[in-house]
Amino acid sequence: MTTQGNIEKRSPADFLKQVVGKPVVVKLNSGVEYKGVLACLDGYMNIAMEQTEEHVGTQLKNKYGDTFIRGNNGK
Amino acid sequence: MIQQPLDLILLALDEEILVKLRGDRELRGKLQAFDQHMNLVLSDVEETALKVEVDDETGEELIKAVKRKMPMLFVRGDGVILVAPPLRTA
Repeated sequence: MTTQGNIEKRSPADFLKQVVGKPVVVKLNSGVEYKGVLACLDGYMNIAMEQTEEHVGTQLKNKYGDTFIRGNNGK
Repeated sequence: MIQQPLDLILLALDEEILVKLRGDRELRGKLQAFDQHMNLVLSDVEETALKVEVDDETGEELIKAVKRKMPMLFVRGDGVILVAPPLRTA
């Protein structure tokens, strides 16, 4: 079996540890996308990101520093 | 070293923040208090609500920004989408 990224029967907590520190795209239910570097997240899928950019077709806002996104809004 | 995002919001206490709400609303105010539901208490807050109006005759779309100010405001957490320190041009 090819092991790409070591997907074994690990808990979601380990997955979360892997993703932290990486650039991500977060898409919300509303369709808005946020691109940034994942600073941290918790069990409710609340997210803190740095250098976040908001995209709705066109770029509306530049949020440098931390942004917090509530977990229930993710798609 | 996994910290909760909420711990980082703790650092924003007593600072001015930008809050994005459902329904195309934004708030700018000073963060007085918050909890794990993202319930917020803001002081000296200004709300900006974006409304899209369609002109019946021309079919033209107009985006209106409606603003209002409040000295103190409680925000229920389930309407909160995003919290951020306001943009700084420093």
